Amino acid sequence: MTLTQEKTLAAQVRTDFPILQQQVNGKPLVYLDNAATSQKPLLVINTLKDYYEQYNSNVHRGVHTLSAKATDAYEAARDKIANFVKAASRQEIVYTRNASEAINLVAYSWGTSNLQKGDEIILSVMEHHSNLIPWQLLAQRTGALLKFVELTETEEFNLGQFQSMVSDRTKLVAVVHVSNTLGCINPIQEIIALAHQYGARVLVDACQSVPHMPINVQQMDCDWLVASGHKMCGPTGIGFLYGKLDLLRSMPPFLGGGEMIADVFLDHATYADLPHKFEAGTPAIAEAIALGAAVDYLTDIGMDKIYAYEAELTEYLFEQLQQIPEIRTYGPQPKVAGLGRAALAAFTASDVHPHDLSTILDQAGVAIRAGHHCTQPLHRYLVAQSTARASLSFYNTREEVDVFITALKEAIEFFGGIFG
Amino acid sequence: MTLSNVRDLYQQVILEHYKKPKHKGKTTPVHRYQKGHNPSCGDTIELTLRLNETGDTIEDVKFEGEGCAIAMASADLMADVLRGKQIDEALEMVQRFQSMMKGQAEFPKEQRKLNVMQGVAQFPVRIKCANLTWHTLKAALETASSASLEEFISNEKDD
Repeated sequence: MTLTQEKTLAAQVRTDFPILQQQVNGKPLVYLDNAATSQKPLLVINTLKDYYEQYNSNVHRGVHTLSAKATDAYEAARDKIANFVKAASRQEIVYTRNASEAINLVAYSWGTSNLQKGDEIILSVMEHHSNLIPWQLLAQRTGALLKFVELTETEEFNLGQFQSMVSDRTKLVAVVHVSNTLGCINPIQEIIALAHQYGARVLVDACQSVPHMPINVQQMDCDWLVASGHKMCGPTGIGFLYGKLDLLRSMPPFLGGGEMIADVFLDHATYADLPHKFEAGTPAIAEAIALGAAVDYLTDIGMDKIYAYEAELTEYLFEQLQQIPEIRTYGPQPKVAGLGRAALAAFTASDVHPHDLSTILDQAGVAIRAGHHCTQPLHRYLVAQSTARASLSFYNTREEVDVFITALKEAIEFFGGIFG
Repeated sequence: MTLSNVRDLYQQVILEHYKKPKHKGKTTPVHRYQKGHNPSCGDTIELTLRLNETGDTIEDVKFEGEGCAIAMASADLMADVLRGKQIDEALEMVQRFQSMMKGQAEFPKEQRKLNVMQGVAQFPVRIKCANLTWHTLKAALETASSASLEEFISNEKDD
């Protein structure tokens, strides 16, 4: 892709995002906090509005017209998500509140009934708290042991160490696909194949990969995959769990309530078929339908195109960052043409604290994240109390990277003076 | 970028206290000890206090910690003005500082160097950075002895 085309993609989609057309602190907003949450295109916003204005109704309950319409839209969104991640069946997609809830669902339902004292769960040190705490809780309940894969010299997943760690005792591997801090793309295919050799199940936290690259769960052969709607142009309050059909069938219910039942008696009940077995209570209907719209929107652009464009931005971003001697980035450097890592950079700037950086950048209209990004153990491992993070999306431009870099240099200069 | 707003926040005095803190370390002996943190951002502070023989006056305050310029400068400035203060006076100052962060108060003449932190009130997300040290001080003073508390006191619970 050439520079001209690259400009074209961001330029094409830019007007779809009303929130980007504003000034913050008197400067045009440069939103570089996409790993925390993405912005929403008009299509998604209008889908929410249309639902509430035209067919708000409960799903799977009424016989009336609006209920049928809401149910159709809610289930159609599930089809869209299933197609988006190439699931074999629509029944393999369970709506959850977010990725955290999806992981907790697996930890409680599958974990509690399948793990015993001495069984091993392998995670990595780069996991988001949402893919760590549910397993800590499970380990406390069952007596299972947590083991952690560390990083290579280039601050990537240590596949060699994983190879020597996985064994017949391993019952579960839960690992992030793309790290929200390091930006590395983990060798998920190899991890899954290795784990399966020992009969271990694998859960993939795909929050940072689903919004940015094509995902094929069948090719990946993961047992579960979780993602969050709000990071992929959808609303908050909705995410999904993908699980292999037989595996989901074998799992007991997580939450009990309406919607997830077949026959209910006073002393017992039978449960609905998949996926509704795991969707107790009135779901986030508008949000699910709008997530379907987000999937339409991303599919329309093409995930290949998004990945290629973001790779070019990544290359440019790292080229610029490397020219600032005070900057130390975390995770691997991008490979040729910006490939091989996510379009985000966690960094520190010598003596300037990330919060101070973030405040100064905010005055220039640039929104970045500062803190531990919900990866405290990783920060401890890296001996970084906190980092700043710029995370990009397909609607960001090179010009925005320039604004960010200029503001970053000024901030360093501002503080550099006092340390000089 | 116009740095004028930024300069209101990061005044020279603040930057100097950040760059060359005068009160880093631990008091000898330690009569009060308290750790505080802002869990959402990871900033931490460890305060130690030396009191007089009757235990009602602060003779020395020192701090250790990791955090942003605002948090660290606030701790150093606080330590500066606390020497010789009675405990109930110090507790009043905690309240006054927290009011100042809401734009509702300032310090009288003899403690006016603390007023340099007033600019923080214009940056609502940074107020907790400035408050961390004062919040930790309050917990330290309200703890009866130097029972070395391993627990962090969170500055974010009341927010």
